[in-house]
Amino acid sequence: MADRIDFRDQIASNKWKSLFLMFGVAIIIVLLGYVISMAFDPGYTFVIMIIAIIFSLLYTWFSYYNSGKIAVWSVGAKEAERSRYRDYYNAVEGLTIASGLPIPKLYVMQSAQINAFASGRNPKNSVICVTEGALQKLDRKELEGVLAHELGHVASYDIRFMTLVTVMVGMVAIISEIFLRSLWFRGGNRDNKGSMIFLAIGIVLAIVAPIVVILVQLAISRKREYTADASAVKFTRYPQGLIGALKKIGHENRVPEKQVSKAVAPLFISAPIHEWISTHPPLSELNSFKLRRCLS
Amino acid sequence: MLIVWILVALAALLVIIFFSYYNRFAVLSNRIDNSLSQIDVQLKRRADLIPNLIESVKGYMKHEKAAIQAVTEARKALVAAKDVAKRVRADNQLESALKTIFALAENYPDLKANTTFVELQKELTATEDRVAYARQHYNDSILSYNNLCTTFPGRFFAGMYGRKEKEYIKIEEAERKAVKVKFE
Repeated sequence: MADRIDFRDQIASNKWKSLFLMFGVAIIIVLLGYVISMAFDPGYTFVIMIIAIIFSLLYTWFSYYNSGKIAVWSVGAKEAERSRYRDYYNAVEGLTIASGLPIPKLYVMQSAQINAFASGRNPKNSVICVTEGALQKLDRKELEGVLAHELGHVASYDIRFMTLVTVMVGMVAIISEIFLRSLWFRGGNRDNKGSMIFLAIGIVLAIVAPIVVILVQLAISRKREYTADASAVKFTRYPQGLIGALKKIGHENRVPEKQVSKAVAPLFISAPIHEWISTHPPLSELNSFKLRRCLS
Repeated sequence: MLIVWILVALAALLVIIFFSYYNRFAVLSNRIDNSLSQIDVQLKRRADLIPNLIESVKGYMKHEKAAIQAVTEARKALVAAKDVAKRVRADNQLESALKTIFALAENYPDLKANTTFVELQKELTATEDRVAYARQHYNDSILSYNNLCTTFPGRFFAGMYGRKEKEYIKIEEAERKAVKVKFE
């Protein structure tokens, strides 16, 4: 079964999707700029459009090169010291030998829950972050399973696409929120019909944009998790490790994690926020899927 | 005129395909060499740790001369072995000798409280894991190379570039990792 997982197609597809996403978001930002300028003062459209284009280019460029750092920073993770987290380093180094990947930068995040995520734009510039809780509550094999799952995301370039989605979508959400909030302050003192139409479009955009992107993200995420699990088994040759870890996660992570923002949540192996649709497959289903996969 | 352009495009496509297959063979073949040397790196690292272990154990385990001797000899064999396959076999020997030492260490509470010893034990276990993973990666690399050589269209290109299926050096993956799956 080892060779059934070939990363090449996945890598290519993730790279294309990332490119597409970056273009898409850049265009959405420019469009939003247009709508906003029309809604508020059409006289400044030209200036606002130029600003929007420059901003969207800068923003895309910045997110591409810094998405990993942003993700790590947003959850308040610290770089893991080698002397203190010896087991963590040992496990990752072993797995990078098994997978032929470069060693990612390792981070630790303050949280009693068992959780982990991977991020970055490519394997050479990747980061892996685990919670203190994961390091304390998981045994060596279970931790290895979780880390192998994250390395699976690294190997397939899931990290590039997923981090870009979370960082860029997070921004769309913020922009739309600001737009909506400013509507409250404007009140209804002007009754220009054209402005009202754009206002309506603006509101619709502001509501729809983040939902659409989140839906896209949810639609793709499930399969990614399965593949990452399969990669984890390929790297460790020991499915029980990951299964044990997932069981412990299912047992322990009942209370939602508060310090993780909604935008970053889907990056984690166990989604820290209970949402109306869960990004990761339910754990029982996951276990059975994995077992089936190992048996075949 | 259009037909010329189509032909040019096709020719370019063909060249790209030929190049990409050539590179693919080269990359996979390099990966095999690389993973083989990775095994060696890890074995050497392991061998380098042994003298320190012997040093820390000697003072405590005065009555276990034979067990200590076995470790020293296994290490000697490992260092002296000529090729990787032999080194791996020597490492298996070393592994079982070490297991004896660690089992015996249970009888010496002072030794078990010694931080140097505990650190070394951890380190040795970690390198053993790494050796196992390096062996696994080596086998995986050979497998993907051979799959490319034996399946179409790689098979066609393999013939053209004179690439042949590679023999596995018989390096078994560690038994520790045997997978147990419950049938339901």
